[in-house]
Amino acid sequence: MESHKESQEGGKEPESDFDGIHNSENEEQLQNQRQIQKQDDENVLNFMDSLDYYLTLMDSLSSTLREGWMELASARHSMGASRISTALLDLKFHHAATCLLVTQVDSIMEVPHFTLCKWASLTNGNSRQRKHDENETVKNANSLCARQRATSPSFELQDKSLPSNGSSLPADEQVQKERSKSLAVFGTLVSPKLRASQHSFETALETLIEVANMRSLMLFAYDQVLKNMAGKKDP
Amino acid sequence: MANRPQIPTKSSALIAVIADEDTVTGFLLAGVGNVDLRRKTNYLIVDSKTTVKAIEDAFKEFTAREDIAIVLISQYVANMIRFLVDSYNKPIPAILEIPSKDHPYDPAHDSVLSRVKYLFSAESVASDRR
Repeated sequence: MESHKESQEGGKEPESDFDGIHNSENEEQLQNQRQIQKQDDENVLNFMDSLDYYLTLMDSLSSTLREGWMELASARHSMGASRISTALLDLKFHHAATCLLVTQVDSIMEVPHFTLCKWASLTNGNSRQRKHDENETVKNANSLCARQRATSPSFELQDKSLPSNGSSLPADEQVQKERSKSLAVFGTLVSPKLRASQHSFETALETLIEVANMRSLMLFAYDQVLKNMAGKKDP
Repeated sequence: MANRPQIPTKSSALIAVIADEDTVTGFLLAGVGNVDLRRKTNYLIVDSKTTVKAIEDAFKEFTAREDIAIVLISQYVANMIRFLVDSYNKPIPAILEIPSKDHPYDPAHDSVLSRVKYLFSAESVASDRR
């Protein structure tokens, strides 16, 4: 019996080697498949997440805009319809006080990224200079941050939006000046409701920039999912 | 992806608005209003007298301008020129459909969502199984 067993084991040896190679190949293939599947799942999840966030942001935008319209209507009620009218709009040459900074997320992902630059009027050279000076001060104060800023583009973006956040007094003053300038179209003494409306529309604008960024990410994720589906159909 | 045009980096791009009077007034209060040397504005106020042709022209002009990065358009106005909005597929300027006072936002009409809706349709699931 023992000799029979030995002969059986001896006969199996070359087969088990072959099986081992075959198994390892199978395992590699399985691992690859699992990785591809994981990547596919990740793309689908990214797409679903961005879609969900897009809808949530649109909901929040709707309520912010509703607030803004309500306050504008209240202002119109208290100031009179003739004082809040588009006929009063400034049609002389002027630059937008609030503009956008468009960058690319990274070289691989061709997704545009929008950053809001609130109340950074081009017509006022002082404002730009002041903001630049402030950036310099922040950089000098924290060298570590400065180093990170140099390597990371996101830090640069934060930096540019820093003065509009109202972190220091001169920037605050400048922002207030720009806000008043915008309100002055409707008169020197305006209803507080108009100021509240301005604030609501500023918030709406911030939400809109988030919506725009989420939209770009959603479309990118959608493209990725479609590519994966096409890849599965034509291996 | 390789065929896609490189996204230009802009330091001060504008936001254009095509909407009703109150929405435009609100966004102008927020500082988005721009008037260039030719007295061309970056907004269009849509009222009952505005023709579809005028809306179409404004949309074409804003999407062709290089200094505009986002075009905000009221969804009910976008519905008037739906064929144009749906056929537009460039990343910049990005078209955002926003709600208006009398017309709440309807995701079913949003051009971006109708573009991605394909993934949720029975068609796409069936074609995947084939």
